[in-house]
Amino acid sequence: MNISSFQQRVKRAKAENLWLLAGLALALMPHFFSLPLLVMLPSVILLCWRLLFELHYLALPPRTVRWLLTLVGILAAWVAFGTLVGRQAGVGLLVIMLCLKLMEMNAQRDVGVVIGLGFFVVITVFLFDQSIFMGVYMLLVVGLLITALIAFSRDQSVISQWKNVQKTGVILAQAVPLTLLLFFLFPRIPGPLWSLPTDGAGAGTGLSDSMSPGNISQLSDNDSVAFRVQFDTPLPSPQKRYWRGPVFTQFDGRTWSNPYPQRFQNSLSINPQYQVSGEPSLYAITLEPHQQSWLFALDLPAILPLDSRLSVDFEIIATQPIQQLVRYSMRSFTEYQLAKNDAPDLSIYLQLPAESGMQARKLAQQLRQKVTDSATFVQTVLSYIAEQPFYYTRQPPLLLNDPVDEFLFNYRRGFCEHYASAFVFLMRAAGVPARVVTGYQGGEMNPQSDYFIVRQSDAHAWAEVWLQGEGWRRVDPTSVIPAERIESQLDLVRIMPEMVGMGESPDWLKKVGRHLHFGWDRVNHAWNQWVVNYNTERQQNFLAQLFANMGFDHIDWREMVSLLAAGIMLVMMAVAMSILRPWNRQNLDPAQVAYERFCQRLSRGGVLRQSAEGPLDFAQRVGQQHPQRARDIHTIIALYERQRYTAYPTQKNLKQLQRAVRNFTL
Amino acid sequence: MSRTTVSTVTPTNMSLRHRFSLKRFFAGEGSEPGPVFLAQRRVYILPSKMGVYFAAMMLIMLLGAVNYNNSLAYVLTFLLASIFFIAILHTYRNLLHLRVDVGQIPAVFCGEVAQVPVMLDNRHNAARYAVKLQLRGQQHVNTDVVADQWQHTNVPLLTTQRGRYQVPRLTLETGFPLGLFRAWAYVQRDVYYLVYPTPDQYHHLPDESSHHSDMQGDHGHGADDFTGLRNYHAGDSLRHVHWKTVARGQGMYTKQFAGDETIELWLDWGDLPTLDIEVRLSRLTRWVMDASAAQLNYGLRLPGVCIPLGVGLTHQHHCLQALALYNINLDVDVSSL
Repeated sequence: MNISSFQQRVKRAKAENLWLLAGLALALMPHFFSLPLLVMLPSVILLCWRLLFELHYLALPPRTVRWLLTLVGILAAWVAFGTLVGRQAGVGLLVIMLCLKLMEMNAQRDVGVVIGLGFFVVITVFLFDQSIFMGVYMLLVVGLLITALIAFSRDQSVISQWKNVQKTGVILAQAVPLTLLLFFLFPRIPGPLWSLPTDGAGAGTGLSDSMSPGNISQLSDNDSVAFRVQFDTPLPSPQKRYWRGPVFTQFDGRTWSNPYPQRFQNSLSINPQYQVSGEPSLYAITLEPHQQSWLFALDLPAILPLDSRLSVDFEIIATQPIQQLVRYSMRSFTEYQLAKNDAPDLSIYLQLPAESGMQARKLAQQLRQKVTDSATFVQTVLSYIAEQPFYYTRQPPLLLNDPVDEFLFNYRRGFCEHYASAFVFLMRAAGVPARVVTGYQGGEMNPQSDYFIVRQSDAHAWAEVWLQGEGWRRVDPTSVIPAERIESQLDLVRIMPEMVGMGESPDWLKKVGRHLHFGWDRVNHAWNQWVVNYNTERQQNFLAQLFANMGFDHIDWREMVSLLAAGIMLVMMAVAMSILRPWNRQNLDPAQVAYERFCQRLSRGGVLRQSAEGPLDFAQRVGQQHPQRARDIHTIIALYERQRYTAYPTQKNLKQLQRAVRNFTL
Repeated sequence: MSRTTVSTVTPTNMSLRHRFSLKRFFAGEGSEPGPVFLAQRRVYILPSKMGVYFAAMMLIMLLGAVNYNNSLAYVLTFLLASIFFIAILHTYRNLLHLRVDVGQIPAVFCGEVAQVPVMLDNRHNAARYAVKLQLRGQQHVNTDVVADQWQHTNVPLLTTQRGRYQVPRLTLETGFPLGLFRAWAYVQRDVYYLVYPTPDQYHHLPDESSHHSDMQGDHGHGADDFTGLRNYHAGDSLRHVHWKTVARGQGMYTKQFAGDETIELWLDWGDLPTLDIEVRLSRLTRWVMDASAAQLNYGLRLPGVCIPLGVGLTHQHHCLQALALYNINLDVDVSSL
């Protein structure tokens, strides 16, 4: 096949169907990441089939084959998902059915149906990804589908495809202000309206519900954002930026986990089990979806977000897995002391696996015997870690048989999980109740804005020990490793926040890189704040503030609806003005206007046109009366005649006529 | 020629009651004498079937957005809703402020499709696309009108009955650009058209001898004596063709005269007494056509109508018009349209 014949095929194809197929193909693309190949592959094959049909290479399948294909499609979805209900299976079924519909899209009605289903596919993509990139990408898809709609409704008109695209651009541009109005003012109903079938949580990023130091030989360097924080109060000092997450109490020799995830505090509010000092930190966290139920907060949270509970280990557990970006306001006391009389059942915090860490147990006994109380024992163990040649590394050796002993006595190389795990083991071996706490530590301010970023690479694990008369106390064994034994500069900055600035390189390229990096993060943050997480609560706050500025002190949905209606009316009127152009509706032909003006000028010079006198006769007569102006007069009349009486008058001719009349004086 | 009186109410001077009458919505404005300007109140708009379907779809999308609390789903739903609203204006504008006129239609024979010339004058600097033109009960045609130009389109009108009729109501309709709405306007101009009876297939002209065919010679020259027939040659006057042999299918012969001679042929209703009225009219129409083609000097006699001898297209039209309007009460017929 040579190029020119292919071009002819494209030209002969129905333009609206080509636009539609392009839109659908782009709409389906993101689903390759969220749907199984068993569903996507047949869909793409069907799409290509239709494309080849449009280009007259292939025929559409006959009815029996279509039925067979439908059956195969449903079967493929069923095999791929094991069910036909639920979010993923539903989306998969929609995608397959849409592509099957392409096999029998003939009538006008079918094209409308397929374009409509195309918009549905776009919406299903948003169920899996609401990033700024996806938003822009899907705008492109909507543009293509709208262009298909225009090409479709233009019938047999001879509009160029470029005109169709232009029209799409105009319509989208005019729709944007209305969309913004609707988005910000349309009263948001807190969903869901009915309970949604829950899928098995997809692969989440971030912290997991167990911890196995020694199983990982490479700490991932995942730079993606875990959550962003907006502080209303001054930032807590770097040493206090511990963001509490899942807590582990049980160790089987390899893995730390929490066997009692459903043990919640009795009261939903924080009961005064602990004493606090200092001012509370007030802040709002925007948490990226991580498919688990933990909400993070600075140690120690003082309030609970909506739809969440507090476990006995001070974890905040949401009632639903976090599958979408959420924003919640928090209050924490970074200086706290748990109540002395808080003496829960401590036995579970002393649990140790039967057959491992024998050497470590011996070490704990030895060290414990040298000191009198638990607090001093904690210091002794920390000194032990600081003095012995322990290294902090992101590439620790695998610990195959007895992770605790191998780490403490053979390799002495590891990252936070190794240290937290070994430390808690030693504590328990010496009879001090202890637990492993995971979460995030540190984070950084976006220098271009007012919020704080905590990344996945800030994930951390530390320990908590229960001391008689003091309660739970946070101990971070990683922090005692001397700087020279930390392998990477970046980790040094993270582990020892007070040394920030030492690792900075003055390289301008890095500065620009950092600038762009934070600039982009800022855009993402704004997108999250104003688009992805614009929910009922945010809308209330935003509008309350807006109305407060306008002098109202209260807003409810009635005002929102009136404001919305007024706004829509205003925008529609503005758009109507720009496209209907009511001032452009004069009934007179502009050539006629110019001619009337010409006659007016002549009458001022004393030459009156007789009512029955046509332009040519009139020109003849005036030309005879004023021979010196005869040429101009005849030019004007010729232009006028051409404008009025030829089949296709041109703008250029009209302009000439108007100019000639303007310059004419008798 | 009679004309029904039509009140010419323009949308600018109509009473409030008239303006909101449902009759306008379904039937249009009644017939009007001049070009029609499609002012705002003359263009109607409602969602099309596809528009209703899209509206339902958006509702489902909104439910989905609420249920999944998904902001970008909200954005998409609102974007589509906005496009929906904007489409109203675009579709409306596609017809608004057009000037519509219906031109004169040359008479046609019954059963033929008359081409009704429709002028669309667009004095707006935006083009109108995919405007569907349709006369009531007829096939439609699509047309575009470029910005600041006018466009002449022939709209088909199938004729089924002889007589004189008013051009039926013209509907201008458009769904452009998105097909989600249908805007339409009615135009009824007081333009009439004539439908001749269908000429039948009987080509035999009546026999001259059995009719009042006068042989008028050029007296004084003695040159009008019929001398015989010879084969027809190209260039011979058609008046001298011996039509009887042509009509019998025996070939063309030219009559030779000693002097000059004209044939005068009367086409008479009374010659066809056994036939039905419409069949008679069809036969007479055929005769008029044939006689005219042969450039004969012919006249037409109908009960109550007598068109004297004559030649030429105007004469032919007079005869055909008489046949078309025979026995038709114009007042009744026109007003019933």
